[in-house]
Amino acid sequence: MKKITVIVRNLPLNTRRNAEALRMSVGLTLREDKVTVIFMDDGVYTAAPAKSELVNAAPPKKEFEVLSMLKCPMLADKPSIEKRGIKSLLANVSAAEREEIVRTITESDVVIPF
Amino acid sequence: MAVELDLKGEVCPYTFVKTKLKLEELESGEELAVTFDHAPAVENVPRSLKNEGHKILGIEQQGDHLWKVRIRKA
Amino acid sequence: MKLGILLTTSPENENTSTVISISRAAREQGHEVSIFLMYDGVYNVHKKEFVELVDKGVNIAVCALNVEQRKVNRVDGILFGSQYDHACIANDVDRFISFG
Repeated sequence: MKKITVIVRNLPLNTRRNAEALRMSVGLTLREDKVTVIFMDDGVYTAAPAKSELVNAAPPKKEFEVLSMLKCPMLADKPSIEKRGIKSLLANVSAAEREEIVRTITESDVVIPF
Repeated sequence: MAVELDLKGEVCPYTFVKTKLKLEELESGEELAVTFDHAPAVENVPRSLKNEGHKILGIEQQGDHLWKVRIRKA
Repeated sequence: MKLGILLTTSPENENTSTVISISRAAREQGHEVSIFLMYDGVYNVHKKEFVELVDKGVNIAVCALNVEQRKVNRVDGILFGSQYDHACIANDVDRFISFG
């Protein structure tokens, strides 16, 4: 079993990229590898509550639900959250100290920035 | 009697994830019949299941963009 | 060594030529190379260099859902597969590089 970490770093607006990163993360579990998703920099907005349907974008609700069901840890980088004044995160996403983020990345066999 | 699973409206990789989770509930040798309406899934899900050791008993087109895949759990 | 590569950007991005060069060099040194194309990366299937990589023994798979969304035509020798194929590559290789 490998440890795979997917890092979401960019704004979720005007793009399907972040939703696709999450769909890909679901797919990566299919060979019994342990998949962790990290949200950092502007990517933390993906893990914050938003009404993306107001700008005609489908929220990646299903991706989050399935990742939770598959027990994939989802971590949001605390300094990135604080810098952007984000007050709350989606269910099952936890705020993590930079040390934990670094440890998760360095302990991974595969790291995929998306 | 096959266990039925309706995956209409689902796309990759949820088609495979949900098929796999359903198979985990079954005993070895039991049959699962999955309905898909996502064309790529009809090709890819059986191929991936074979790779996991399961047996594909048949793929039947039931209408425009509607297929039933019958699987025997390994 | 087995090398896995993920490419998620379209052919205008310089990632494309980097992936082609790395794959070519790795094959010339006898390494196994598997490439997965998803998101806008699926547009690369029509680059002639990718078809040439298949001829050199590189395994290339694409996400069929992204292909369907972008109306990209099939190409012989390239697997129009799924995220399961991506999971197999990530699970199987010794080194994995992502270009996005």
